[in-house]
Amino acid sequence: MLGLSPDEVGILALSLRVALISVLCSLPLAILVAYGLARSSFPGKTLVDAIVHLPLVLPPVVVGFALLVLFGKRGPIGSVLNEWFGIVLAFRWTGAALASALMGFPLMVRAIRLSFEAIDQRLEVAARTLGGSRSWVFASITLPLALPGVITGTLLSFARGLGEFGATITFVSNIPGETQTLPLAIYTFTQVPGGDAQALRLSIIAVVLSIVALATSEWLTRRSKRMQGDDRS
Amino acid sequence: MRLRSTLLCPLFLALFTVGLAPGVYAADVTVFAAASLKEAMDDQAKQFEANTGNKVIVSYGASNALAKQIEAGAPADLFISADLDWMDYVEQRNLLAPGTRISLLRNTLVLIAPASSKSTLKIGPNFGLAAALGQEKLAMANPDSVPAGKYGKAALEKLGVWSGVEKQVARTETVRAALALVSRGEAPFGIVYSTDALADKGVRVVDTFPPDTYPPIVYPAAVIATGKSVAAKPLLDYLRSPSARPVWEKYGFGLAR
Amino acid sequence: MIEVDIDQQLGAFHLAVEFSAEAPIVGLFGRSGAGKSSVINAIAGIAEPARGRISINGMTLFDSKGGINVPPEDRRTGYVFQDALLFPHMDVRSNLLYGQRLRSPVDRSIEEARVVELLGLRELLQRKPNTLSGGEKQRVAIGRALLAQPRILLMDEPLAALDIPRKTEILDYVERLRDELSIPIVYVSHSVAEISRLADTVVVLSDGKCIAAGEVDEIMGRLDLRPATGRYEAGSLIETTVVAHDLDDQLTTLAFAGGELIVPHLDASIGERVRARIRARDVSLARQRPAEISILNVLPGFVTAMDDGVGPIVDVQLAVGRATLNARITRRSAQQLGIGVGQNVYALVKAVSFDQRSVGYA
Repeated sequence: MLGLSPDEVGILALSLRVALISVLCSLPLAILVAYGLARSSFPGKTLVDAIVHLPLVLPPVVVGFALLVLFGKRGPIGSVLNEWFGIVLAFRWTGAALASALMGFPLMVRAIRLSFEAIDQRLEVAARTLGGSRSWVFASITLPLALPGVITGTLLSFARGLGEFGATITFVSNIPGETQTLPLAIYTFTQVPGGDAQALRLSIIAVVLSIVALATSEWLTRRSKRMQGDDRS
Repeated sequence: MRLRSTLLCPLFLALFTVGLAPGVYAADVTVFAAASLKEAMDDQAKQFEANTGNKVIVSYGASNALAKQIEAGAPADLFISADLDWMDYVEQRNLLAPGTRISLLRNTLVLIAPASSKSTLKIGPNFGLAAALGQEKLAMANPDSVPAGKYGKAALEKLGVWSGVEKQVARTETVRAALALVSRGEAPFGIVYSTDALADKGVRVVDTFPPDTYPPIVYPAAVIATGKSVAAKPLLDYLRSPSARPVWEKYGFGLAR
Repeated sequence: MIEVDIDQQLGAFHLAVEFSAEAPIVGLFGRSGAGKSSVINAIAGIAEPARGRISINGMTLFDSKGGINVPPEDRRTGYVFQDALLFPHMDVRSNLLYGQRLRSPVDRSIEEARVVELLGLRELLQRKPNTLSGGEKQRVAIGRALLAQPRILLMDEPLAALDIPRKTEILDYVERLRDELSIPIVYVSHSVAEISRLADTVVVLSDGKCIAAGEVDEIMGRLDLRPATGRYEAGSLIETTVVAHDLDDQLTTLAFAGGELIVPHLDASIGERVRARIRARDVSLARQRPAEISILNVLPGFVTAMDDGVGPIVDVQLAVGRATLNARITRRSAQQLGIGVGQNVYALVKAVSFDQRSVGYA
């Protein structure tokens, strides 16, 4: 398929799966957090904001290490997940998804939050006078109007997740077929004698994927803005 | 609404790729192997698969990193370390299947340079390594933790050269990373296993370290107690069997007895 | 019947309003910042007063003592905002139906077809709000509020953002609403012209307090309310009936409680009731009936009140027959003519000065 070897297809599929799952699972939480940060004021809000942005500024290795300590089989959260639910994250592709989700979370929240803040809240007030309950107004007015930000945040987080390396290799290590995502595979090939050609091939794939993700984000954002009658773009 | 359908695409894509990415089955064996075993183990894995039909997945890395991952619960079925210390480490934590630990392979330590180098440096007590390096780097696996680095440091210390070059060591995560640095010409000299030098046409062996300057390089192998694979012991048995010998020798490994 | 009695602190501004009002259209009148919007926000449930009680036709929407505070979505108060606030991501039709979709099918006495026809929205249905003109947006906003099946319509300065031709257009529509749908309306405005034309009852607010409430003729004619209503627009409202048209000269004769008014041709049938507004600045006074003068309307009456402020201008309230008129003249003239309370005078109103746009049709 596309002139790629079966191994390369496997690596690509694993990377896509990890990035997609990470984005889909973190989206609901990101919307919630972004809404809270955009609309409410509560004690400790600045702290929450700072924590959300931590993965953006911390070395990825630190995030990976923290994940290992917390979610490893013997960690406080990991042991509970393992014993009670049989869920293991360390050294599994699900752990890679968690690492990607965490690293991409700040990007997602930022974009969605900006979108919420840009909404004229009087529109929500108008909807309530027309009979909409708070949750209905959120679903029918707020969320659709925030769609450009949601799209941008999702795709940025996706692209970030595809490229995630430091946290991934620290938390889930480098197991082919299970946790060896695209960046990890490229890294592995740089250490294989004569592996430069392979590394280059995979790097090109990584670049193409990122460009596609970013271009799609641009296009979708513009389309949804137009649908909202915002022709400024 | 076209926008809605465009947004549903990633959902389908996710479900699609869930199917594409291969999963790990019970009869598959996951091996954590020292980085220097890359080509040899790949080959052995192919043979084993051809013979038994069981898939072998190998995760290569520095033995110290692998040992810590196993300690943290990584799903390894078999562990092949490049030195005894790190296998001891895992054994002390009661993570080995009892009675399965063996010494599998032997190796030797060499000093390498890029293939284009004309260096005629000879290894001996107080040899001129520092002078030969000049301002540049000596590529070695991390001498504090990675087996190849530990062996290298021991050898250089024995020869009285270590303190002179210590500050110029470019510490890498695995021995293969050190190999790559020399192969690319980023470092004029490096210390790796003879098997590594054999694997990379981009380097040439300048000289071999005398065996009495470093502890014997032994690669122990064992089945991990928490591993789920039923094919782990059969694989270990295969690797020490006469059938596996030609592959080991092809890549320059000696056999431990 | 709308009963409001509330106390609210909005920053440095204290609102303490109490009134009850009846009849199809209640005008909430006062200067900018008097607290008008705050009152209808409280009625709609968008803002919560610190204390008080609000009820509409017997239904209590808010009662601080009884712990009642009906959420806005349950109050059935249709709100038309100053800048329409149409949902930009939906087309006009979806905007219109937003509220209706949330009501049970049984509860759809105001129908889509009727509203579309009433407000002339048929051509706009598939369009997006950002392609509409100001007047069109406002009509859609009114339609949207109506289709949510409200018990009462709240309109907050709906014409403020429109230019004059649009204002007239929407005013016409609001009158149609009053006549055809019989929904009570609370109409907020700082414009004397709008209030005069539309309201039956007027509640006057000033500085967060209700300073007067009553029938529109009476309230708008009162001199003592001038500070609240603003000086420039002073005038009086009279209910008239069309009695004759002169087709040659294109003039119309209107009969009212003080006699007859001749005005440039009005597009109304004989017998039709018309509410007219006469600006005080267009009314001159004379001690004797003038001769050889171009002014057609010379109405005998007497002075009932004069404002005693300072400055070059003085407002004079007159009784003309059973109607009230206001005149605005210079203090010098008032003194020179010896005009005082009780004095017989003639009110002179130029037919030409008569403001066609101020006419409200019943």
